Amino acid sequence: MSVEAISPPTGPPSDLDFQMGLDLVAYQQKQRRLLSIKIAVVWLVLLSFITIFLLLIEFDFDYVIENAWYVIREGAKWTIIISVVSISFATILALMGALGRLSKNAIALGLSGFYISLFRGTPLLIQIFVIYLGLPQVGNQLRLLGVSQDLPFLVTMGDWFILTPIQSGVLALSLNYGAYMTEIFRAGIQSIHHGQHEAAISLGMNRSQTIRRVILPQAVRIIIPDIGNQFIAMQKDSSLVSIMGVWEITYMASRLARKEIKFMEMFLLAAALYWLLTIISAWLEGLLEKRLSQAYER
Amino acid sequence: MKKLYLFVSLLVAISFLLTACGGGETQAENKLAEVEDRGTLIVSSDPAYPPQSELVPNAVRPADTKCANDQKTSAELQGFDIDVSVEIAKRMGLEACFVTPDWTLITSGNWADRWDVSVGSMTVTPERMTNLYFSQPYYTTPAAFFVHADNTTFTQPADLAGKKIGACTGCTYDSYLSQTLTIPGEEITFVVENPEFAGYDTDSFALDDLSLGDGVRLDAVLTAQPTGVQAIQSGKPLIQLGEPVYFEYLSAAIDKKGSLDPESFVAKLDEIIQAMHDDGTLLRLSQQYYGLDLTSAAGEFDTDLLDQFK
Repeated sequence: MSVEAISPPTGPPSDLDFQMGLDLVAYQQKQRRLLSIKIAVVWLVLLSFITIFLLLIEFDFDYVIENAWYVIREGAKWTIIISVVSISFATILALMGALGRLSKNAIALGLSGFYISLFRGTPLLIQIFVIYLGLPQVGNQLRLLGVSQDLPFLVTMGDWFILTPIQSGVLALSLNYGAYMTEIFRAGIQSIHHGQHEAAISLGMNRSQTIRRVILPQAVRIIIPDIGNQFIAMQKDSSLVSIMGVWEITYMASRLARKEIKFMEMFLLAAALYWLLTIISAWLEGLLEKRLSQAYER
Repeated sequence: MKKLYLFVSLLVAISFLLTACGGGETQAENKLAEVEDRGTLIVSSDPAYPPQSELVPNAVRPADTKCANDQKTSAELQGFDIDVSVEIAKRMGLEACFVTPDWTLITSGNWADRWDVSVGSMTVTPERMTNLYFSQPYYTTPAAFFVHADNTTFTQPADLAGKKIGACTGCTYDSYLSQTLTIPGEEITFVVENPEFAGYDTDSFALDDLSLGDGVRLDAVLTAQPTGVQAIQSGKPLIQLGEPVYFEYLSAAIDKKGSLDPESFVAKLDEIIQAMHDDGTLLRLSQQYYGLDLTSAAGEFDTDLLDQFK
């Protein structure tokens, strides 16, 4: 919608209506520019409030600067790894869960319904505790059984249940977010007009081809903003794995804070890092969204 | 669609990588043999409690370490507990590696062989003895009350009757305030009647709240004397109230529910810690970190009183 491209007709008398249109466009542009300036001012005022807050609480900037790189190098690394791996597993779980929810098979319906209900209905922190503390007890029982009955495969299976902190964290986050995202996937799939289904079937596609080639590509475009949303939430929830001693942002911040009792400094540093991470992922999500909606641009 | 398959196979590869960190063990006949075969002693320590255990700022992990990727080296942590762990490992001919789970996960037992021993200033209590074995204590911690520096009305711990006192939830200070604390081999007198208990995740949050002002959120905090003294040294407006109210014996702890028999491992730890008392190593470390002799009483503690291996 570029205005310069439409040059006014040359020579007098100028078209009054056309001039009015140009003025209107120019006016709207000015209004939009003004609005963004005003928004920027509001942001600046809010940021200066935060700065005043920091100055009032005797904020030790030097301590933050001293430790910031260590928190980023060690902490942000693990936060990113854990949340990226978990969102990937969660996406797969959600896709399977949604297909289960939409199927007419009693087993698939029962499994997916139970999974969503259980993992959406219990706190993530409790899930982490159960996976980290509870599963090894199952593993130990299996191992004992394997040793006493001389069944080596039971011993190996028992070992699978003893997860490291990072594995437990990834498993808990994937299961929990997979349950939430199942409903997002289901809504996305259901939002595709049933005409698409019928068209695919009339072209001779079977159920899995229809889903793979017709429904999913269109559904993904609709659910990408929601997945991005979940990813942002997950980055912050990944702080819960700190209780198992994974050195991610929250863990590093809280332990460095306790070194010299500088809680405000380190917690605000952690907050700033999470904020930055989520801004970056929101921006990436925007790019992806734009890329996927190219075919729909008018 | 091809991209999706590639993505899924990548994920499977990553998950294998993640599991690869965990497994891989040969069956040894007992805990001591397993640790000696491995060449590393895996110690748990929560670096939230300076000067016992804290992070080294901007630490760099040494390249030649035998510690697994998800374990920390002695270069990344520092403190009294860390030095004691390194010394214990050295006397066993091993390298000390550290894992840093939350304190509640350490005291709950059921470690699933994820680590061998906790050298985390853990007080010997009858409740913990249901899940854990304890070694010869390596030092003692006096527990003392701290109040805000502005306070003038309290002169001794008994004055705190009915006042709001902060302490960590689930630790011995909690039990002391609710008058349920028993420590093997020690007679305890409960001097504070009916305090209003305020539970905290960790002692330093309680000290932080107390330093907001006299009686603002708390009237007093019951904590380890060294922890309180360190808070004062870092500029908190607090003072210690009277003499310490009791002493805790702090030991290395070993999981009772591990898959291998730990009896010879515990005996070895007893022997090493006793030797460290006898040759003055622990006294020297105590002087270095606390400026006090906190170890002599621990060296004389008789572990037979605990009666652990029935």
